[in-house]
Amino acid sequence: MATEIETNGNGEGELYGLLAEFDTPGELVEAARKVHDAGITEFDCYSPFPVHGIDPAMGIKRTILPLIIFGGGFSGAMGGLALQWYCNAHAWTWNISGKPTWSIPANIPVAYECAILIAALTSFLGMWIFNKLPQVWHPFFRRDRFAHVTDDAFFIGIEARDRRFDQDKTTKLLQDAGAINVENVYLDPDPAKKQMPKWITAFIVASTAFALVPFAIAAKARNSKSTEPHIHIFPDMDYQPKYKSDQMMDVFADERANRGEIQGTVARGWLTTDDLFYRGLETSEAGAKWTTAFPKTYPDGRPFVVDMDLLQRGRNRFEIYCTPCHGYDGRGNGMIPERVKLTGGLWQARNLIEAPDKDGKGGVAVQMPNGQLFNTISNGYNTMMGYAAQIPHADRWAIVAYVRALQRAQNAAQTDIPADQQGSLR
Amino acid sequence: MSALTKSLHPDDKVKAGKLGSGMVKVGIGLAALFGILSIILGAVHGDNWKRFFYAYVIGWMFIVSIPIGMLWLVLLHHLVRGRWATAVRRLCECMTLAFPVVFIFGLPIIIALLAGYSDLYYWNHPDARNAALNPHMQHKLSAWLTPFWFAFRFVVYGAIYTGISMYFAKKSREQDDSGDPKISDRMRIASGPAMILYAFTTCALAFDVLMSIAPKWYSTIYGVGYWATSEVGAFSALALLVLWVQRNGRLVHSINEEHYHDIGKWNFSFTFFWAYTAFSQFMLQWYGNMPEETVWYKYRMFGEWQWVSIAILVGYWAFPFVFLMSRWTKRIVPSLVFFSVWQLAFHWLNLYWNAMPSYDWEVTYEGTQKLVQGPLMGSLAHHHVGLSAVDFTVWIALVGVLIAAIGRNLTGNLIPTKDPTLGMSLAHEQL
Repeated sequence: MATEIETNGNGEGELYGLLAEFDTPGELVEAARKVHDAGITEFDCYSPFPVHGIDPAMGIKRTILPLIIFGGGFSGAMGGLALQWYCNAHAWTWNISGKPTWSIPANIPVAYECAILIAALTSFLGMWIFNKLPQVWHPFFRRDRFAHVTDDAFFIGIEARDRRFDQDKTTKLLQDAGAINVENVYLDPDPAKKQMPKWITAFIVASTAFALVPFAIAAKARNSKSTEPHIHIFPDMDYQPKYKSDQMMDVFADERANRGEIQGTVARGWLTTDDLFYRGLETSEAGAKWTTAFPKTYPDGRPFVVDMDLLQRGRNRFEIYCTPCHGYDGRGNGMIPERVKLTGGLWQARNLIEAPDKDGKGGVAVQMPNGQLFNTISNGYNTMMGYAAQIPHADRWAIVAYVRALQRAQNAAQTDIPADQQGSLR
Repeated sequence: MSALTKSLHPDDKVKAGKLGSGMVKVGIGLAALFGILSIILGAVHGDNWKRFFYAYVIGWMFIVSIPIGMLWLVLLHHLVRGRWATAVRRLCECMTLAFPVVFIFGLPIIIALLAGYSDLYYWNHPDARNAALNPHMQHKLSAWLTPFWFAFRFVVYGAIYTGISMYFAKKSREQDDSGDPKISDRMRIASGPAMILYAFTTCALAFDVLMSIAPKWYSTIYGVGYWATSEVGAFSALALLVLWVQRNGRLVHSINEEHYHDIGKWNFSFTFFWAYTAFSQFMLQWYGNMPEETVWYKYRMFGEWQWVSIAILVGYWAFPFVFLMSRWTKRIVPSLVFFSVWQLAFHWLNLYWNAMPSYDWEVTYEGTQKLVQGPLMGSLAHHHVGLSAVDFTVWIALVGVLIAAIGRNLTGNLIPTKDPTLGMSLAHEQL
């Protein structure tokens, strides 16, 4: 197209402006100063890289973009805080491990990231808007030489609409300023090419519409019913070639994929004949009763000793498995009953350390023999379910020992304190 | 960026002349006057010199932070083939050459430790080694925090810093004579390993001298935080030194507001980086909520110290962050001076806040029984900020030492006259 215009002379389109090429960035700066001094305002400089000193030479004021970016960053931080307040402290308050729903230190990382995100977007979009970008339909692109502006050429472009523009005088001004070449640039005679090309408009509209497709699908799925199975993106992961224990399998006579234990065998480590260790029962001729002591040995023959190591292990397990309901001190004030209380429920967790009154009422857990406490951990009690699947037998005994220590400590009398430390009591 | 260069202005005075000896006199005067005052005040404080030594550790960590910060700029400048800082690099090198004197003035801490003085570092107290009283500290005490091993490490740190700083200063002066551009290459090759050594040394120094004041507490980012606050102090000090040198008629044409702007930018960025590391340290320990970690913040978030914490948050971060962000605050001399002095004061306050809450070791039972239980123990009400005159006099005396130690090195050329990148640095412009 460009060559066509040149062979046809300036007969097509009206004059848009002058494009002058310079050899070095230094000459560009000097020329820009002369053009500015001549009182011309509708001009711009084009260079492959930022040139020091070009802004004052062109008489351009410092941009206010930094202030706008600061505003963007500040509103990002405030928006981040507001988002967290709305989500966590207002619309959907949720007790997470007793942490406060609204807490500035916890909110700072998100607020900080939001500040950076909005500041970065503001600077990116602000730069484009202030520079009136994109302008891929700019008339200067009609000159082949202008393509070198991203590589090794420096240009000043003066627009004809400037009120001091005079084709001959301005051309001379540029030549005097050291331009190695001054060209006239004409608008495209085709009015459609004076504005944003159709294909760019089409691309923006199409890509915007395309970006809305996932939202449209999601909106449709939320508001309609379907009998179709859902979409499997990875079918070989959803349907793996294997049998699950509850499935049918016609290889065997009973058609079960799950093969049970062979009659009369016990898997290694699963022999639980020791009633004392595995069930907390003392068996005799008269029958079985809950033990009030601890096992004498582990099944592998090691002696069972109630010492600090065992208590520490018991505490560790207790704080993992028992504290959610019974609380750290065993008073039944764990997170789950606390949340029940918040939501108006009546259910309470057992207070493990409550001592029985004079008539022997209450204090269920204190009065239980060790064996029954063990059995409670294994098989549950009232609404409490059994923990046999989660906690190994030895750890259940460690928890029993720790609960006993808790009961002792929480119901201690002043006389339990060693005489030499009585003074430190407050 | 265009590679524009300029040559040294013919009228520019680049020789130090008597500039340095004047600084030495002022420094020695300050150090002597306030040193004597500190000794008197320390003695009458009536706590077996404990306040004096706490103030000494804080003041010493303050003065060592300035050459530490500047050594980083010198190393980074070589490492990344920096251009803008060439014009101020000689002044940076003069500041880093203060290391030997500064480390000699660290010896009172070491001598006191070796002589068995146990009121400064609790880990040197006989109680600390009692496993019944402090069961969770014994591994640190036996492996790391012993007086001799501490003293040995201190000497090693001093030797490493002195060695690195002298190498780069000496090579740079050599280039002034020979003009050999290969010297720049050699310094660049050396700067990589030196930077790694520098990082480890700085972390270890902060762990040993400052963090071990509260020996039960620990934070792995502590060294980075100390380094960040050191850079704020160092760039503030550099700005003041540059302006002072120019006020005395040197380098008037060589260093201009474009260089001030970059010094201020570093000050700004490290102000934020310091806040970032300080918050990271706080955030993880606060959220993790483990007693041995949160105890350090407990005594700083509540009680009297919370006001100092808030003052640091506002004065050391919020205020300089908002104002140093602007262009003009870094380019106008009075504003640059104001922010440099401000940041140096808060840099000191930050170090004070790091060490001083550990000052009170006594726990009172029933108003009668007093027990020494070490730092960060007992009720919050017993932990006072208790600003004392000796805190300031020791600080000023040690700053006098630093001024004299820097002034001593201000000789010959104050700018690397034959550095190949000097031209670009002189023509430096902010976009």
